[in-house]
Amino acid sequence: MNSENLLLLLILLPFAGSALAALLPANARNTEAWLSGCITITAFAIVVYLYPSISAGEILRNEIEWLPGSDLNFTLRMDGFAWMFSILVTGIGFLVVLYARYYMSPEDPVPRFFSFLLAFAGAMQGIVISGNLILLAIFWELTSIFSFLLIGYWHHNTAARDGARMSLIVTGTGGLCLLAGLVLLGYITDSYDLDHVLAAGNTIREHELYVPVLVLILLGALTKSAQFPFHFWLPNAMAAPTPVSAYLHSATMVKAGVFLLTRLWPVLSGTDEWFLLLGLAGMSSLLLSAYFAIFQQDLKGLLAYSTISHLGLITTLLSFGSPLAAVAAIFHMLNHATFKASLFMAAGIIDHEAGTRDMRKLSGLFSFMPITATLAMVASAAMAGVPLLNGFLSKEMFFSETLGQHSGSVLDSVLPYAATLAGAFSVTYSIRFIHTVFFGPKPLGLPREPHEPPHWMRRPIEFLVLACLIIGIVPGITIGPYLHTAVTSVLREYTPLYSLAVWHGINTPLIMSMTALIGGALLYLMLQNYLAQSEDGPPGIRQLKGQRIFERSLVTLSWRWARWMEDTFGTQRLQPQLFLVIFIALIAGCWPFLGTDPAFNLESTTGMDPAFAVLWGIGIACALGAAYQAKYHRLAALILMGGAGLVTCITFVWFSAPDLAVTQLLVEIVTTVLILLGLRWLPKRMEQIDDATTLIARTRRLRDFVLAVSCGGGMTLIAYTIMTNAELPETIAGFFLERAYSEGGGSNVVNVILVDFRGFDTFGEITVLGIVALTVYALLRRFRPAPDSIEIPEQQRIQNDFDDRHPNRKVGETVHDYLMVPAVLMQWMFPFIILLAVYFFLRGHDLPGGGFAAGITLAIGLLLQYLASDTRWVEDRLRILPVRWIGLGLLLAALTGMGSWLFGFPFLTSHSTYLEIPLIGKIPVATALFFDLGVLLLVVGATALMLIAIAHQSIRSHRARAIESAKTQEDD
Amino acid sequence: MKLSPEHLVIAPILIPLIAGALQLFLDDRGRKLKASLSILSTVALLAVSVLLLRLTHTDNEATGGRIAVYLLGNWPPPFAINLVLDRLSAMMLVLTATLALSALIFSLGRWHKAGVHFHTLFLLLLMGLNGAFLTGDLFNLFVFFEVMLAASYGLVLHGSGLLRIKAGLHYIAINLVASLLFLVGVALIYGVTGTLNMADLAIRISQISEANHMMLESGAAILSVAFLIKAGMWPLSFWLPATYAAAPAPSAAIFAIMSKVGIYVLLRLALLFFGNDPDFPDSPGAQILLYGGLATIGFGTVGVLASQTLGRFAGFSVLISSGTLLTSIGLVQTEVTAGALFYLVSSTLAISALFMLIELVERGQNMAASVLAVTMEAFGYQDEEMEDEEIVGVAIPRTIAVLGTCFAACAILLIGLPPLSGFVAKFVILSALFSPDITSQMDIIPATSWWFMALLILSGLATLIAMSRSGIHTFWVLPVDTMLPRVLFIEILPIAALLCATLVLTIQAGPVMRFMEATATSLHTPQPYIEGVMNAPRAAPPQSIEVAE
Repeated sequence: MNSENLLLLLILLPFAGSALAALLPANARNTEAWLSGCITITAFAIVVYLYPSISAGEILRNEIEWLPGSDLNFTLRMDGFAWMFSILVTGIGFLVVLYARYYMSPEDPVPRFFSFLLAFAGAMQGIVISGNLILLAIFWELTSIFSFLLIGYWHHNTAARDGARMSLIVTGTGGLCLLAGLVLLGYITDSYDLDHVLAAGNTIREHELYVPVLVLILLGALTKSAQFPFHFWLPNAMAAPTPVSAYLHSATMVKAGVFLLTRLWPVLSGTDEWFLLLGLAGMSSLLLSAYFAIFQQDLKGLLAYSTISHLGLITTLLSFGSPLAAVAAIFHMLNHATFKASLFMAAGIIDHEAGTRDMRKLSGLFSFMPITATLAMVASAAMAGVPLLNGFLSKEMFFSETLGQHSGSVLDSVLPYAATLAGAFSVTYSIRFIHTVFFGPKPLGLPREPHEPPHWMRRPIEFLVLACLIIGIVPGITIGPYLHTAVTSVLREYTPLYSLAVWHGINTPLIMSMTALIGGALLYLMLQNYLAQSEDGPPGIRQLKGQRIFERSLVTLSWRWARWMEDTFGTQRLQPQLFLVIFIALIAGCWPFLGTDPAFNLESTTGMDPAFAVLWGIGIACALGAAYQAKYHRLAALILMGGAGLVTCITFVWFSAPDLAVTQLLVEIVTTVLILLGLRWLPKRMEQIDDATTLIARTRRLRDFVLAVSCGGGMTLIAYTIMTNAELPETIAGFFLERAYSEGGGSNVVNVILVDFRGFDTFGEITVLGIVALTVYALLRRFRPAPDSIEIPEQQRIQNDFDDRHPNRKVGETVHDYLMVPAVLMQWMFPFIILLAVYFFLRGHDLPGGGFAAGITLAIGLLLQYLASDTRWVEDRLRILPVRWIGLGLLLAALTGMGSWLFGFPFLTSHSTYLEIPLIGKIPVATALFFDLGVLLLVVGATALMLIAIAHQSIRSHRARAIESAKTQEDD
Repeated sequence: MKLSPEHLVIAPILIPLIAGALQLFLDDRGRKLKASLSILSTVALLAVSVLLLRLTHTDNEATGGRIAVYLLGNWPPPFAINLVLDRLSAMMLVLTATLALSALIFSLGRWHKAGVHFHTLFLLLLMGLNGAFLTGDLFNLFVFFEVMLAASYGLVLHGSGLLRIKAGLHYIAINLVASLLFLVGVALIYGVTGTLNMADLAIRISQISEANHMMLESGAAILSVAFLIKAGMWPLSFWLPATYAAAPAPSAAIFAIMSKVGIYVLLRLALLFFGNDPDFPDSPGAQILLYGGLATIGFGTVGVLASQTLGRFAGFSVLISSGTLLTSIGLVQTEVTAGALFYLVSSTLAISALFMLIELVERGQNMAASVLAVTMEAFGYQDEEMEDEEIVGVAIPRTIAVLGTCFAACAILLIGLPPLSGFVAKFVILSALFSPDITSQMDIIPATSWWFMALLILSGLATLIAMSRSGIHTFWVLPVDTMLPRVLFIEILPIAALLCATLVLTIQAGPVMRFMEATATSLHTPQPYIEGVMNAPRAAPPQSIEVAE
């Protein structure tokens, strides 16, 4: 297989394994381990196999086109540095899988664990070999997600949940910033391709956006690498199972941050901003975390702070911007991964076998687990920087780098001292780790009797510790060539001369190392007794916890402030919303006229007929009255609205639009009656409204009034202007007038427009009517009358009282009889109304009328029947199925429209002719007539359905009343 | 019968109408029959939509794509109504049909039994949506808006209940006002231009006199208010989270596209009417979309954080999505529009899936437990001492595992994290904002680009915080002591399908974005659309009459 495909395989293998692992049963611990082990070792083998071409200075690439338009491609790229990290990811990955097999309890549901672990390994591998910056950001965020899931693996544990959430939020935020930074970087260099970006160092550093880009990228890298001030998530992430900590929080994920910094080091470093921002973060992390680590009581807490501190060391080295410092940084990444992973595993063994990680409880474990203790001691020594171990080498390089000149400020002179101090601290916590746990008196009250772990659980540590030793003693011939491959791939032509020898003679760095060793040991002796009993955390600032500050600000920001802002800038009440909508509409309608001279064409008012003016005066008065009465006198308001409607209707007649007039009249009748029937069920008037008279309420009403008047006035003006528009354009209306008869086959242009020219609108509108009817029915079917509206209306009560007082009358007779005469009339009218409807329908295409008018007429006939007698009486005699009528109407209209397909014309194309019918004579028949019939059916059905829905409320209220009275009787 | 592909254009309107009407003849108790009919017609709808999408495709990517014009009643344009199918409308049709099919399958679990006429209302809602996407006539658009809204009133109230009725009536009240504004706006525009056909309007608007232009602007502004209410721009959007949260799950799932109808219309009309005007990006209209969109993202972000229930959270996510799209439209740049179209598809799929998922998740909980109260305790940190508890993991029941995976996928989509399409969508918008083509025209990166970028990231962050908060609460804290929700396979299937669709969208991002870019280009250069409509031929007109031009 060629190397391009192998690169792809490196990514695909872990993800495929992850999917497979998730599907295995919950107790398949061994299968899971075998699967994960095979995958990680295969990946490792692939990486090793690629070494010859890498060491030859080749850059392996595999580019798969993905989103070429935005320059985002699935580009994999491996150079020496990526190769070195790949070895870490796959190699330590394999060791961790081996370790986890023994660490995880047989009862643990491990498929989830191994699945997430493999997916994480895949994502991490992705970061390392991404050849496209955006692809790198993608894998970057994936590691955040999987690390969240891994930390929260024991999610029944509060600490695990909190730690997981915190790490997700911190690193996720960093990732989003990183994405923004990389997008900007791509903007500067005009490409997201890593090779392209790496070649554009000077352009980037000189660009005006350099600082924003740097800040955003640093936010991403520093959150990931848990650098001060974003370090606090890492100690909390220690709630994860130890294999996770060993893998993610020592060797891989936290290294992603420094990996990225190194990757971009050639193009971003070397400026003052870079040195200051990165140097400050690095030095603070190095020093503070080393200090904090001393005072941890949790073994893993100590290691977590130590990790932050060592990453701070790497960050500081990178901040210097000198090639030698970069070499040291790369070397220390490698060394730290080896000794820290083994230390985490050792801590896990202690926890596993002794049952606690609290250093106040642990002591004297050397006699119980001598081999583990020895391994841990070597690894700790590497961490402390003891000579002949790998930690010593990179630390020496660090010390010598701090001696150089970097910014020429006071920082330069402080650096060596700070570095030595941090070195001393790390010696202190390393000694503490070993001395407290393995030496001293035998432990008391441990949850379990400690003993050596299974042999295979220790193997990974043995291997790593061996690596520490070998690298530490003979660095030049072991790690040398590999390190050099990595270094040259980053630094290229700037690769400096460096030597990995153990002994460089007695020089300043060596003196600094010795000072740190001795100082650290002394410090431990001084603090030993205090630490044996002290609480967790450094003295003095124990209360000042990053975690606590984070949580508190998160609650304040994301909860209190958010809720306050939501309340301030939003509302859930209807009235303010409607006010806003109308207010904004008013502004929107007015702004084009702002600053212009309002010139209204008032000439056309002169020729106005006085009778018409009076008519409109009445109409306006009715409308105003309706609005005025609407709140408390619904009946009056309704009647006044009817009045306004009638005036509109007469206006249509006045302007020779009989069609509109007929329709308007019929619609007015139906809506008024339906609302009248519904009025009965509306809630009662509230006599007293608490704050009706306060100043605020009055102001609010005044405000609403002003808005209403402005809107009404505005509408009037706009309508007036449009109607008197002098520059009236040529409208499509002319076409309709011209073609209605010749092509539409009807002399009633309005009807032709409705059923032919714009028949599709009618088609939609009847659908709306049908939907509304169905909705009303669906809503009212479940509706139960409100308690305050089930009692018998006052009028009926008076009538029943009258019956009561007269011995010859039965209760209910008056109610039944009082509409006797109109009721008989209404019943007799029914056939005539039907006839009228038929008449309207047939003549519609040429004269005022049509399906809609006919339908409403028919519906009025039905309505009158319901009014004349009670619901049951009508329904016993007249069985209409309104829902079917609606369906039929819709289908008929649709089928008529589709009929024209038969002749190869589009939907709703009409054809008209005259038909000779005996007795009646010649009547115009257009295909539109069938369409109109559909309209008729639907209108009848919809109106009837709503009518029935409302009418049935009274039947319900009888029942409700009966239940109510039965209840009160029981209570009595 | 001669059924040329031409008639296929109207099929997305007729199929749901006929199926919905047929439902009215079936007894409510025969649910299986009703359900089969609905499923059948929705599948047909999906098939037709995909066919139509392919119809608009041309091999030559540079041209504006094919436009199909359907002249209703065989009247010549611009006098009567016509339907216009182009890339954008075809894309919206496919999206609608996809959401519809999944929401419908979901509803078969239990929701379609919660009240009468669910199937009819649902199908007619589809008719309204499809009609709104297809029509080329401004008043006909109003009619289809009404069809859609009327059906949505019924669907929001479906299943009844006090909360639903209250939110539903608020929704109805606001939307009735919006409809009124729509009508006023259309009347004003007709009053000064004398036409209703969109393409004809585009021509006449450029020739209009100075005095009438003010009136036209006024009409367009009032019309826009109606669309902005529908799209949910702050401060016209307060009804939206409450309504969407209260609506039954399948309704909410299809409502996810309803707010996009407002966006669709704004995008189409703004660019059609003013796209040729070089000053349009600086006009107050575009500026309002831009800043209003930014404010909407901000408000959505705040709301997402302040939400105590998942339903409201999802409602505010709709606002974030709307705000992002409005801002993108307001920027009036082809590249950004292309990114926004991708975002539209991705976020609509995600939100729709989320609405269905929420109902399943909350099914097992009682109301009090599912209300999240973020106090100091809820945020942990009380444990100073290490917990020496026995550390053995808890196996997650299969149902919870599946729901949790879907929830995580929704979260990833909404936050904009990889590997799903939410990330790609956000990236293409960001990348377009800072593409050298755009900035080179202006020399500097405009401040609005920075604001947009900041808000995109902040809204993602807020979603991350809110989703991790409630996700942990729901899946890691609660399952220990709550009953397992009873979830049917057919309820989880549509959610999974929608999420898979986003995965496909991610993997096929290249071709999809090419399509979106072509769509955006044709939107920004509307001339072929206008000419296509105005020159649409009639089907063999009666011989006696010549077509007047």
